[in-house]
Amino acid sequence: MKRARRGFGPITALLVLTAAAHADGDPARGEQRFVDCAACHAPQPGVTNVGPSLTGVFGRKAGTLADFRYSPALKRSGITWTPETLDTFLADPQKVVPNNRMPYGGMPDAADRADLIAFLLRTAK
Amino acid sequence: MATKLKEVDAVIIGLGWTGGILAKELAEAGLKVVALERGAMRNPASDYAVPNIRDELRYVVRHDLMQNTARDTITVRNNPTQGALPMRRLGSFLPGEVVGGSAVHWSGHTWRWTDMEFKARSRYEERYGKNFIPADMTIRDWGISYDELEPYYDKFEYTAAVSGKAGNIKGTIQPGGNPFEAPRARDYALPPLTPILASEMFTQAARNNGYHPFPRPSANASRAYTNPDGSKFGACQYCGYCQRFGCEANAKGSPHMTVIPIALANPNFELRTHSWATKVLKDSDGKRVTGVAYTDILTGEEFEQPAGMVLLCAYAINNVHLMLLSGIGETYDPLAQKGVIGKNYCYQTGASATLFFEGRHFNPFMNAGGSNATIDDFNINWDFDRAPHNFVGGYNVSGGFNTVLPIGYRPVPRGTPQWGKAWKAATAKYYQTAMTISASGSVMANRYNCFDLDPTYRNAFGQPLMRMTFDYKENEHRMGQHAAKVINDIAKSMNPTHLNAATARTDPWTVVPYQSTHNTGGTIMGTDPRESAVNKYLQSWDCHNLFVVGANVFPHNASYNPTGPVGALAYWTADAIKTRYVKNPGPLVSA
Repeated sequence: MKRARRGFGPITALLVLTAAAHADGDPARGEQRFVDCAACHAPQPGVTNVGPSLTGVFGRKAGTLADFRYSPALKRSGITWTPETLDTFLADPQKVVPNNRMPYGGMPDAADRADLIAFLLRTAK
Repeated sequence: MATKLKEVDAVIIGLGWTGGILAKELAEAGLKVVALERGAMRNPASDYAVPNIRDELRYVVRHDLMQNTARDTITVRNNPTQGALPMRRLGSFLPGEVVGGSAVHWSGHTWRWTDMEFKARSRYEERYGKNFIPADMTIRDWGISYDELEPYYDKFEYTAAVSGKAGNIKGTIQPGGNPFEAPRARDYALPPLTPILASEMFTQAARNNGYHPFPRPSANASRAYTNPDGSKFGACQYCGYCQRFGCEANAKGSPHMTVIPIALANPNFELRTHSWATKVLKDSDGKRVTGVAYTDILTGEEFEQPAGMVLLCAYAINNVHLMLLSGIGETYDPLAQKGVIGKNYCYQTGASATLFFEGRHFNPFMNAGGSNATIDDFNINWDFDRAPHNFVGGYNVSGGFNTVLPIGYRPVPRGTPQWGKAWKAATAKYYQTAMTISASGSVMANRYNCFDLDPTYRNAFGQPLMRMTFDYKENEHRMGQHAAKVINDIAKSMNPTHLNAATARTDPWTVVPYQSTHNTGGTIMGTDPRESAVNKYLQSWDCHNLFVVGANVFPHNASYNPTGPVGALAYWTADAIKTRYVKNPGPLVSA
């Protein structure tokens, strides 16, 4: 449980700073950003590639889709995916959830993340 | 008694890069295609994902993605006066055995072989005279040209997400690329990978020595990419588990995440895994093939799959083996120099130095399959005069890392004890401080290097094993000496704290240790049926509805990795079948 708290701590802190950044995002540009994710994640329901489907990701507790084998780190993270938590996570996934298994270095640019999240809000419902 | 199945238009043996490309292309052209793959289907989400994939014991020591030698292997000898013995454990090379073939575990190095290879004999004879080529060196022109293959190289590079820097676009030399490469129509699909410290230091040193370094072109996507077929790639994460592993980030161009899923989605295509082809069947007059006999290795059931055409797309060595087992074409005899099947087997040679820089941190665990810088000054640079050095062929030199294994990689200066406390201390001290510079060299065909069927040993299906007769010849020894000197001169100019200098290898070739999975020849392409097994479209001279696709058609081996021309030739053959052969079945080249 100690690990989980350590992973979750920075999220709550950053939440305040990044809240609603996605509101300015452009879903069309976000579709371009999604190319970073598309090799592993499908925005359609029930499609498990190397990564889990992103359909219904908003409001979902991290690491809870039945048909995907998540890392213990992500399962323990206690995160519920919202535009804000996703924004923080995608900025530096290993920093937010150390030892998670997603082989992705992160999307450092806040505007890019806002576009991506706007795209996901539209397509991954 | 074999069960006879319903006839299909085409049967493909082996589903790696070549089988995958042909499966997709021919199924899209409306042909009913069946692929027989001896290995299993893997699920990338569980098999190639973190953390399961980062398992050196499973993939490197136990060869999880490779041919099972308990079922079939080869026998090996150095020359025809010796008896051959079976290779009971894979070593020198690692044929794949899984859907995706060896292209699941390759590093992604993708080169364009040029007319330097395709016109080898005529070019050397023209420049140096007929006597420059030794009498027992059986190199030949290939019967194909770079210009014919260029669009197909391009197609393969864009399919496989090759990252690199062009050196010559339509004849204009591009700064930072390989100035010796043949002209290409456009740049690579993706920009080069991010250089690592070792490749940057090599680049600087090579430049200081007057050479022309460039980033090695590799099918490791330098950023997220969607290829022209819509297959999606993630960006390479420089995880350090490339060669011998499936890619955890879907960043390495492999058929199991590009052409094969597209074929599988096509109702014209059917894949049968665990299906071991034992023989290509011929009709009574031997002018056509009629199908393939195969065994389900899970149940032992035998099947006969009749087909309008057969495409051999297995590993290069296994394609040759099937030709010999099926009795198609005359087996090559190295003493009489008669026959063609088994002829011109070639391999590669090399030399390597390890440089130690105390105080530097190379972070060797962080690299891509292709994070090397390379020089071609002694390779496809025709201005390099071979006459004073008396060898045919060439070698490329590179600095950097590829798949530095956490257990297997233990660089220590020469003279360090090989076990015990002192070794442990040295391996801890030097792990971070070492980099390598290595050369990969061509092997020219020699009349005595060849394949035939072993007279003694048999595989699990009761069939003769294939016998490989191979050794390096004087030509390769001389080239190795030249390469070692070039490597050592570059290395010394970098002032390392210690240097394990490169030496030319002159010992007889053995199956241990690992050297390179770049075995070529055995069913070579050419213009004359008396001298070659297949024509320029990789179509058998003996049976026009049989195509033999892979590095087994190369008349000699270059310094470069073979997958570039292997992929390009698969697209080239697919085009010839779709646009010409299907409409008018028969020989595509008149003998």
